[in-house]
Amino acid sequence: MNKKYLPFFDQAKKLGIIESEITFQKSRATSIDIFHSEVSSFSISDSQDLVARGVLNNHFGAAHTEKVDKANIINLADQIAVNASLNENDDPAIIFKGSKKYRKKNIYNPEVDSVSVDDKIKLLLDIEKRLKSADKRVSEVSSVSYEETYSEFVLMNSYGLDLSSKSNYFYIYAEVVVKSGDEVKTGYKIFLNNSFKDFNIDQFVNDVVNDATRKLGGKPIPSGKYKTVINPKVTSSLLSFYMRSAVAENIQKHTSLFEGKLGEQIASKKVTINEEPLKNNIFYTYFDAEGVATSNKSFVEKGVLKTYAYNLSTAAKDNVETTGNAGGGGSKIGTTYVNLVLKPGRLSEQELFEKIQNGFYLTEVQGLHAGLNPTSGNFSLQASGFVIRDGKMAEPVSLITVAGNLLDIFKDVVAVGNNLELQTSSTSAPSILIKKLAVAG
Amino acid sequence: MISKNLAVQVLNAGLATGADFVEIFLEENPLLSIQVENGHVKEINSSLQYGAGIRLLKDLQSVYGSTSDVSRKGLLKLASQLAASFSGPAIKSVDKITKKRNHNYYPAEKRLDYIPNQEKIKLMKECSNLMSEYDPSIKIARVFFSESIQKVTIYNSDGFHFEDTRPRLRMFFLPIAVGPNGMETGGEGPGATGGWEFFTDVHDAKNTALRAAEQAVRTLNAKECPSGKMPVVIGNGFGGVIFHEACGHSLEATSVARGISVFSNKKGQQIASPLVTAIDDGTIDKAWGSINIDDEGHPSQKNVLIKNGILTSYMIDRLNGRRMGAVSTGSGRRQNYSYEPTSRMTNTYIDNGKSTPEEIISSVKLGLYAKSLGGGSVNPATGEFNFACSEAYIIREGKVAEPVKGATLIGSGEDILKNITMVGNDLKRAQGMCGSVSGSIPVDVGQPTILVSEITVGGRGGKLQ
Repeated sequence: MNKKYLPFFDQAKKLGIIESEITFQKSRATSIDIFHSEVSSFSISDSQDLVARGVLNNHFGAAHTEKVDKANIINLADQIAVNASLNENDDPAIIFKGSKKYRKKNIYNPEVDSVSVDDKIKLLLDIEKRLKSADKRVSEVSSVSYEETYSEFVLMNSYGLDLSSKSNYFYIYAEVVVKSGDEVKTGYKIFLNNSFKDFNIDQFVNDVVNDATRKLGGKPIPSGKYKTVINPKVTSSLLSFYMRSAVAENIQKHTSLFEGKLGEQIASKKVTINEEPLKNNIFYTYFDAEGVATSNKSFVEKGVLKTYAYNLSTAAKDNVETTGNAGGGGSKIGTTYVNLVLKPGRLSEQELFEKIQNGFYLTEVQGLHAGLNPTSGNFSLQASGFVIRDGKMAEPVSLITVAGNLLDIFKDVVAVGNNLELQTSSTSAPSILIKKLAVAG
Repeated sequence: MISKNLAVQVLNAGLATGADFVEIFLEENPLLSIQVENGHVKEINSSLQYGAGIRLLKDLQSVYGSTSDVSRKGLLKLASQLAASFSGPAIKSVDKITKKRNHNYYPAEKRLDYIPNQEKIKLMKECSNLMSEYDPSIKIARVFFSESIQKVTIYNSDGFHFEDTRPRLRMFFLPIAVGPNGMETGGEGPGATGGWEFFTDVHDAKNTALRAAEQAVRTLNAKECPSGKMPVVIGNGFGGVIFHEACGHSLEATSVARGISVFSNKKGQQIASPLVTAIDDGTIDKAWGSINIDDEGHPSQKNVLIKNGILTSYMIDRLNGRRMGAVSTGSGRRQNYSYEPTSRMTNTYIDNGKSTPEEIISSVKLGLYAKSLGGGSVNPATGEFNFACSEAYIIREGKVAEPVKGATLIGSGEDILKNITMVGNDLKRAQGMCGSVSGSIPVDVGQPTILVSEITVGGRGGKLQ
């Protein structure tokens, strides 16, 4: 254990806080923006974050500081005592003693640091140049940016648990504006990884431009119910909201759509939802926010709800074992998923279009946070996409709203595509085909 | 946080390779957050944000760095690292620093750090209990309180030193009502810059809590909103989020300077109905979005963005001002030291017109009354926006009729501005957090009741009849 933090544990003990824990995160980030063939913004950051919590009279107290010196480290214990004495939360307050086994892997990739800043800038300038010349309708390359982050994380507690991890990733983001007559559309793409080897510049440029140009000429379609294919991006956004209902805390508070549905069919048989925190990608996590070892598991199997997602406190309430899904920090330990995956099927997206012949292809929704009520599952969202005609993607559709209920969406899944796509939220999903979606033009 | 002497050294280290402007932004910000649920404290957290950001400008190029290590070593290292982005001889240096004084728009009468947390918790519990007792369908009555005392110190290579202490407080009421057909939430979040007097002398928190409860219960029993194009009366206060999202962001130099805003190069042109005058004012006494100086040290000011429908001013920060050949409007803001500042809104509102709210509603035969709006988003390049109504009614024959839920307003900012056909005389502001490139910052939105002749409304209730 790092001796620097011993004064915290000593002070905590003096104040009667027997169980206590600290987490320390140190990160370093670099970001570069290009505009009109020049570096328009370059930034670097170093940050540190020390969070402490402890139990006094069965209640948690928590405090946090970015000023990490001896005085502040000791002061954290004092603040914990004050905050704990005001806390009336009767949820079980548990500091974890440790799991039997941890599956620690090194996912830090030194390649990101070994590429020079100049080479990274050259790559971005090249992307910008290619975007400009890719299509006559590109009127502006509004953003080409890069950001890389390296971080180290340590969790230590009064039971001697001492866990650490380090990781890094970068993303490249580009956005273009295209014009045709008076009509303006934008398109973008994010590439997220920790290796440049998987970056294909031609593919990337093509995807960004295509995302914008294919929307030109978009019009509403007549209101009605359509057989719909939903692309991976929108599916994974919906999936993230859907799976909030599997969070045990929401069940216990009666704000979940899945209350009392454990072991029951909640979705179509085509729907299997796994969580794979140990999957080898940039989101890999081998212990959760409470220091519990994570594991790969199935939440929904062939439409049947297998388990809720637990942390120590919610698990103790239900008298079960935690599933290692604790997230957040300080007194705000919540529940989270890492690498949530909607299991892909066999059909390609094109085969899904052919399967319905005529319908709607939903590719974008706006305002999910305001327009989707996660407790009732009802949503009404601004959306855009394409007409599917004779089994092919046809003209663009814009300025429409789609409305429905999350539970129905996943009940109505007829087929799942094979085009699994990882999103920046760590959730990944392929395209899905659903029986019907209400569209208002 | 640091001595003047060290500030001079850091500024000069930044200037060493030819930068024409260097700025140090130091921040110390103790925060407190408390959550009460059904009358009990569920969470209480205290934290300290602490660090510095250094920015170097050379013509239109900027480099930015931030660190939580504000020691001499840490700051000098960061300044030199950033200076390495440029190459050339120094073109200027700083030898002395003069402190600039500024007006204080938010003197606290009851300093937040002097008020015991027990007193804050007492009010929260009272509000939580009032919501629970309002109706048996309210199963969860949450109240959040947050306060921060952001102390900002800025030094720049023009030889100036600025300071601003921004004490902010906000309470958020979030009741959840549960019925046979699901659950609905209400939401109100009053806040201010200043001291605890906001909740003892200025704002009636208990009444606001009840309004949130009423909203949740009413929505629970409302029918689904019909969809289609229709005239929409947008209520005062948080209804102003429509202007914030659909027009305000497009008037920020962040997008204007790059020519990617629908309002780029439109100064002096009629962009809105002549009934519309819109203002961004960071100098309103004790308002949630007010700042004495912006995060670049410019004194905050009142900017008339649109006067009688004509675009009169953008919101401009230092760097984008260079791009546009314009001066700062006191609009350079950032969430904290880890963000580079850019042009942002403060307290933005559509100014009062002449109609009474009753006249406006009675002018509509069949349409929607969007009394209160939730969040939304906008694409600054196309001006397309969407937002959800948190409280809405159908208007029939000039009268407010049945409540509806699940309504979404969609359209484009340009169109909405032109289609405003009546503007009320009941201006009100409401509080929000605005997220954009330089992070999440406190802002006020506001407007009187307005009538928009046609908006596309999304909902699940079929056609409006």
